Amino acid sequence: MKVEAIEYGDRKVFSVGAFNRGVADWLSRLPTLWVEGEVTELRRQERWATVFLTLKDPSDGACLSVSMPRAQFDALRLELADGEHVHVYGRPELFAARGDFRFRALSIERFGLGDHLAALERLKQKLAHEGVFDRKRPLPRFPRRVGLVTGNDAAAKRDVLTAITTRFPPARVVVAETYVQGPRAAGAIVDAIGALCEIPDVDVIIVARGGGSFEDLLPFSDERLVRAVAGCRVPIVSAVGHEQDTPLSDLAADARASTPSVAARLVVPDADELCERLEQTRQRLHHAPLLMLERKRAALESAHGRLRALSPRATLDRGYAIVRREGAIVRSGGDVGTGARVDVELAEGGFGATVEETR
Amino acid sequence: MTFEEAQKELEAVVRKLETGQADLDEALTLWQRGDELYRFCLGRLDSAQGKIEDLASKVDSLRPAEPA
Repeated sequence: MKVEAIEYGDRKVFSVGAFNRGVADWLSRLPTLWVEGEVTELRRQERWATVFLTLKDPSDGACLSVSMPRAQFDALRLELADGEHVHVYGRPELFAARGDFRFRALSIERFGLGDHLAALERLKQKLAHEGVFDRKRPLPRFPRRVGLVTGNDAAAKRDVLTAITTRFPPARVVVAETYVQGPRAAGAIVDAIGALCEIPDVDVIIVARGGGSFEDLLPFSDERLVRAVAGCRVPIVSAVGHEQDTPLSDLAADARASTPSVAARLVVPDADELCERLEQTRQRLHHAPLLMLERKRAALESAHGRLRALSPRATLDRGYAIVRREGAIVRSGGDVGTGARVDVELAEGGFGATVEETR
Repeated sequence: MTFEEAQKELEAVVRKLETGQADLDEALTLWQRGDELYRFCLGRLDSAQGKIEDLASKVDSLRPAEPA
């Protein structure tokens, strides 16, 4: 369509109608597509040929006017109500008479929790098949630094920080604040994880977010985020939502924490417990050598007892004597002749003697 | 000679005396040797105990006070 301009000297000027027609024509070249949003301000009246509604983006409140011929709308038998989640198939158009921009719906489909769940389930199956959920690494016992990805809303951040520093006061935590909700959240969290990984002494990362609606937690099931968590350089603890929520990033994380204190328990040791264990070890260190000495002493004394029992002196004490001739022990009467000089050793002292008779 | 060597030899001496394999002369020599070994071991144990107690008391004095 040719849009004619009126020329005033070197200035080209369009009439309102011509301008609107021009824009409408330009818009009509855009493709037909699906838009997702929440139904608000649904206006349908028997005497109107068109049904109007406003489609709202629940994450940031952006709005889009939607129109649909009433007969077509009624034929869908959707019985839509405000607040419902829908997918609208259509194309943008300009209502030339008023210069109103609208999305002209060709079809509307209710997109409820069930559809979301089914889509998530398909993604889950796909990722599980690839083994994205299989890699579980052990968490470090003494992380040099803990990375914390959290929203800039104080609650989740404060809860996790408090839990960590209560359990282990000298802990060093680097916080990366980011969006944790809405369409930009998934990408922003991926970036935050990446940024923390760049810090060399970050040994573990917690991704924390308080509870929220199913939709609030959807970014944590975003494929990009799930893959980033699974492929992260350091182990990741997912502390997202509450016990009953299981976003897919939970499955890809190395550990899952249902509360901030569980997260703290996973990433830092208990300082009190460490001190207690150190004290126990110190006591054992103190006692161990003495115990060892005692055992050695007992073994030595036992050997000594046996030695004493075998002492030649003990034999002499019982009344025996040792007879020597020129230092050599005499064992047989034949070893000495009559008149030989012998030395006799007794328990106490001894004497010299001369042999009078041999037998 | 280490404590362990001395202790091992002492045990061997005692065993040999107990089995009665040694003749009296040898037994006397062995017995004397055993007695020497015993005294040597005892001395080493006593000095080790002294050192350990010394160290332990030093470590104790270095221990930080319990936090309130």
